[in-house]
Amino acid sequence: MQTPPSPSDAITVSNLRKTYRIREGGSWRGKTRDIVALDGISFSVPKGQIAGFIGPNGAGKSTAIKILSGILRPTSGEVQVNGLVPWTNRIAHVARIGVVFGQRTQLWWDLSVAEGLALLRDIYGVEPERFTRNRARLADALDLGAIMDQSVRQLSLGQRMRAEIAASLIHDPDILILDEPTIGLDAPSKLAVRAFVHELCRDRGTTVLLTTHDMHDIEALAERVIVIGHGRILADSPFEDLRTTTLSERILELDFHDTPPELTLPAGAHETAREPHSLTITFDPSQIPAPALVAHVGHLPGLDDLRISRPSIDEIITRFYADHAA
Amino acid sequence: MSLRPYLTAFGLQWKIGLRYRIAVVAGLVAQMWFGAVTLMAYASVYHAAPDVQAPLSLRQAMTYTWIQQSLFTLLPLGCLPAIGDAARTGAIVYDLLRPVDMWNWWLSASLARLLGNAVPRAVLLACVAGPLAILVGLGAWSLAGPASLISAALALLSITLGALLSATIVMWWNILTARTLSPLGSYAVGTPLAVLLSGMLLPLPLYPDWVRPFLLAQPFAGITDIPIRIYLGTFIPGGVATGLGLQIFWLTALTLLGRLWMRQTVNRLEVQGA
Repeated sequence: MQTPPSPSDAITVSNLRKTYRIREGGSWRGKTRDIVALDGISFSVPKGQIAGFIGPNGAGKSTAIKILSGILRPTSGEVQVNGLVPWTNRIAHVARIGVVFGQRTQLWWDLSVAEGLALLRDIYGVEPERFTRNRARLADALDLGAIMDQSVRQLSLGQRMRAEIAASLIHDPDILILDEPTIGLDAPSKLAVRAFVHELCRDRGTTVLLTTHDMHDIEALAERVIVIGHGRILADSPFEDLRTTTLSERILELDFHDTPPELTLPAGAHETAREPHSLTITFDPSQIPAPALVAHVGHLPGLDDLRISRPSIDEIITRFYADHAA
Repeated sequence: MSLRPYLTAFGLQWKIGLRYRIAVVAGLVAQMWFGAVTLMAYASVYHAAPDVQAPLSLRQAMTYTWIQQSLFTLLPLGCLPAIGDAARTGAIVYDLLRPVDMWNWWLSASLARLLGNAVPRAVLLACVAGPLAILVGLGAWSLAGPASLISAALALLSITLGALLSATIVMWWNILTARTLSPLGSYAVGTPLAVLLSGMLLPLPLYPDWVRPFLLAQPFAGITDIPIRIYLGTFIPGGVATGLGLQIFWLTALTLLGRLWMRQTVNRLEVQGA
């Protein structure tokens, strides 16, 4: 089933396959074996969307990101990014995208951030006025003012990542590819990066493809998640849908000042843990709505406090991977 | 196509080369030392056998040595350090993400690095081994002037070709580094080849008769040996034109083959994943 690329799509991928040939035993005569990294994936990302691309290690995420960036050639399948085929129009393609690999650096260790940005201006041929404007805008949005004249090797990881993001955007790319942009960052830096990406998409209509293992990045940013496992797309939906279909249950925790009493629970709720002074009940809100369950337990003798929570996003994704043996 | 990215790559590596001023001084001391030791060895060999008709006179051998020593860092000893680092850390993928012709991009950087290292040293050493040595009364051991003004002009042209040729050989080491993802191989192969075949260890005109044609015809002779011969006005079979012709031949051949090898390597990086 093939749909023709729509002009409003920034990225279209159809039937993308990639197999790596590896040599076993590491010797000259060792047998070779093919490893399937991508087993025919298809998706498209409309202009201006933030799409999260997630999956366990080895699922094929990096392979897909590298193909979309134009640095890896697929075994078969079709890709168009901004109407270009990345691996056949490499130079024209890379001029229109920005890429951040969170674990690698594109700035020059020996140079200051400002010098690095000026080099990138020359490499991408950004006109002086546009460069000045972009630099000022990025310095402001990413809070680079104080570190502009420091050499990259002196920056903290959080500072460096902000500088890396500025470096990837100095030429106004239409598409930004972020490969684990928050890896290793402290909480304030993560929030700063997320806020910036959110604004970039809202104010400039930049299309963002984001891979991460930090599900909070996804929850905060992505309108849509594409889950990949074993080289296939396992799910492609808004995150809320993933939550509803995977792990819609809620958790009710009850604290008592004495031993919790024995109780009978309505259908859809069951006891999952019992401690000397507390009780945990897991329930399905479609069978027993939270207010009804609270009303049911609310008059139990000795009840001090109660809390309702949803499973964390990490629990949801762990369950999802487990359900799909990913 | 704009030249600006390539000039930028050049400017960056030129600056990095100049940044290591202490290395320039240390290198200068080392090269003065090796130069002086070599000169004393030549002096005793030449004096021990005054009847032998050597292809270079003692003065020529001394001048040859001084120029070789001053141009040591122009030799293609290994890959561009920045590419070695990028290969090790994986940042080399970013080079594939730049809208530039990778050969010209790396070549500009490699040439700048060679020149940034070699030019300050060459100028300093030429001053010390030339005018300064004469001033302090060591004229007999000094760097002699060119054979003629024409020789000087042709030598300048030839050393320019030599620098380009050296950068092109560095490109081969760069590609090797990109393939093996380590700079070590390029140094293990590059350093002995460059030191031996450029005439750094022993001037190529002083090798036995039967190997000399082969030594002149191999690419490393085009880096410093041919320019020095032209400077000295000494014998090249076929004359200066042969010397320049050999340089141009190797420059063209190594560029064409190197570009093919690079394309194949980039394809392989693209196929196997960087």
